[in-house]
Amino acid sequence: MKVSFPYMGSAIVYKKLFEFLEHEVVMPPKPTQRTMDLGVKYSPEFACIPLKMVMGTYLEAIEKGAKVLVTSGGHGPCRAGFYGDTHRNILKSLGYDDVELIIFDAPQDNWRAFFRNVQKIRNGVPWHKVINRMYTLYRFVQKLDELEKMVQKIRPYEVNKGQTTQVWNQIHEKFDKVKTRKQLYEVYEECKQMLLSIPTRKVDEKDRIRVGIVGEIYVVMESSINFGIEEILGNLGVEVERSLYLFEWINDNLVPWILRPKRFKEIIKKGQRYIKILIGGHAVETVGHIIDFKERGFDGIVHLMPFACLPELVTQSLIPKISKEIDIPILSLPIDEQTGKANMLTRIEAFIDLLKNRKRGKTREIFIDNIQEDVQEERVVMV
Amino acid sequence: MKIAIPHSLLYYYYFPLWDTFFKELGFEVVDTGPTTKDILDKGSKAAVSDICAPIKIFTGHVIEGLKVADYVFVPRFARIKKPEYFCPKFMGLPDIIEGTVEESKGRVISPIINEKNNENISSPKIYEMLTEMFGFSYREIRLAIKRAEEVFERFKKLMHSGLSCDKALDSYRTGRWEEDLRRVKKDGDVTIAVLGYVYDVYDSFISMDVIKKLENLGVNIKTFEMVPQEVAYDNLKHYRKRLFWTFSNRVLGAGLHYLKDPEVDGVIHVTAFGCGPDAIVGRFLQYESDVAGKPFTTLRVDEHTGEGHMITRIEAFVDMLKRKKWAKLSEVL
Ligand code: SF4
Ligand code: SF4
Repeated sequence: MKVSFPYMGSAIVYKKLFEFLEHEVVMPPKPTQRTMDLGVKYSPEFACIPLKMVMGTYLEAIEKGAKVLVTSGGHGPCRAGFYGDTHRNILKSLGYDDVELIIFDAPQDNWRAFFRNVQKIRNGVPWHKVINRMYTLYRFVQKLDELEKMVQKIRPYEVNKGQTTQVWNQIHEKFDKVKTRKQLYEVYEECKQMLLSIPTRKVDEKDRIRVGIVGEIYVVMESSINFGIEEILGNLGVEVERSLYLFEWINDNLVPWILRPKRFKEIIKKGQRYIKILIGGHAVETVGHIIDFKERGFDGIVHLMPFACLPELVTQSLIPKISKEIDIPILSLPIDEQTGKANMLTRIEAFIDLLKNRKRGKTREIFIDNIQEDVQEERVVMV
Repeated sequence: MKIAIPHSLLYYYYFPLWDTFFKELGFEVVDTGPTTKDILDKGSKAAVSDICAPIKIFTGHVIEGLKVADYVFVPRFARIKKPEYFCPKFMGLPDIIEGTVEESKGRVISPIINEKNNENISSPKIYEMLTEMFGFSYREIRLAIKRAEEVFERFKKLMHSGLSCDKALDSYRTGRWEEDLRRVKKDGDVTIAVLGYVYDVYDSFISMDVIKKLENLGVNIKTFEMVPQEVAYDNLKHYRKRLFWTFSNRVLGAGLHYLKDPEVDGVIHVTAFGCGPDAIVGRFLQYESDVAGKPFTTLRVDEHTGEGHMITRIEAFVDMLKRKKWAKLSEVL
């Protein structure tokens, strides 16, 4: 079976997954403007941007020969749960009758369908091998995330512009070749050394700017849609950390509730200070992470959301209040197919300037003054 | 003690219940009245700019209500039917209000409505929070909500027998239930199913009174409230998976029901600009109408939609239906 999947974040992880299950993998291309155009063209106008991007990705993967597309269904009160069905309808109406879309809904929604899907993608690989390889994959994700966190802390201080990103790309290539757990640990050590040997400037603790990135999962994880915001911030000399990493997402969502790390529950609890019940999407987590970043001494927050995203609009409604009460500047950026990179860059740069001024002890009043103008002319919430 | 009930969102469906309930408990109930330009403007200013018009309007009503009452009622609708939920904005409504309306602090009454299967939202448990807030006994709450439930049942009966939500509300206000029940009659030339959430269809500001305008054109109206819950859901059986949102399912289910109804000549979907769930509901309705061979149109309205434009569109739609019907009739003759 020629298998492909939606592109999101470190897509080599999904590639590994299907390689481990001995499928022939069609690697979907990293989303580009063309992906977006294709997606927009064939999706309902008012669908959210992740749906459109994934649609475009599918079409490109099919062009490359994919016959089976595997995705998760999602549940909870948001539209994500219908992505799969909508995609399937569109593919059918485009005449791709020979392409199969396998949707993994949460097992508790329909156990039987879930296991039927598992059987399909297991591809006859014996269970003991499956379990062993899935454990390797689990560690694979963990190690890759650890390295990514290092990248985010090194990039702002690199001496040679662009070097960290270069190394990060090399790391991906190396990880792509990993087949066993033993190799994984070796490659990991090697990559770590590569990162540590990048020459960096010494920056005083009190001059470091740290920004947390929060929001809806797709726009937070997929750099092609958020204009590579982590790189942009890094190049502006800012350390970043996301609210979401694949490894944590797996722990939070695929590991049974009782075994989940305490941290996830803590974040939810923090979020519930402002949004009392879970309302779908990542709204409560978004708020929880904002509070958590503040408590950990971060200087600012960038909130990413698909334009008109239902749960994130609730978050956005609360941002001025949260920002004021816990005293942290938050830049909220809605993203859709019309969002321009130049425009976004300007806002981010202005935001970082504000953070720097604030850090240097300028008064908060100046900061608020600057922001008022932005609020009036843009649909950006900046507080 | 005065409590304001915002004349917006699920007000149109639940007002008789809440009004009775709070009055029984001895509150003075203030209805913030139909949406005005002023209310919309106030709401738009306070709310996040990309949020849907209904939430902006609701925010405006809350601001208005807080001016005249001590408290404002902002229920948190999570669920009234398993396994569905409400739109995330309903689930986070009190949070949205606390985030955007400063003067609401400590003055919002927001019980959590989280029921497995009770459209009447009349379990005393929901309103138990009032005992803490105001010192009512649980027994008082139970009696008041029981009385409210009876009223709501009558209200629903009225709708199921063919009165649209706003007319049934009038009956509730005037107390002329029996006469109104008898007044349900239909003599228009064509019949249109007007589908959409009550706060879109009946908010004279959002829908610009589409129902009244259609009636003036000699159209009989059918709406989703006239279809009992069970019937609506029965029509959804063939879907692989139901929608997540209760009222979206009811609108869709009622739509499917009307598409089979030989009396119905056409379908209008009323939707607010920026509504997330409707992006999906609308597509399904359109598809099913095509299959059923009934004319379908969407009225997408927001705070900037021009009234003239809308009238032209519905007139054209009604004309088309009338012509079609005549053509059919003359064929038979
Ligand atoms: S969380 Fe936002 S982007 Fe995701 S399905 Fe819901 S509305 Fe769309
Ligand atoms: S269902 Fe649509 S119109 Fe209603 S609150 Fe949600 S997004 Fe707004």
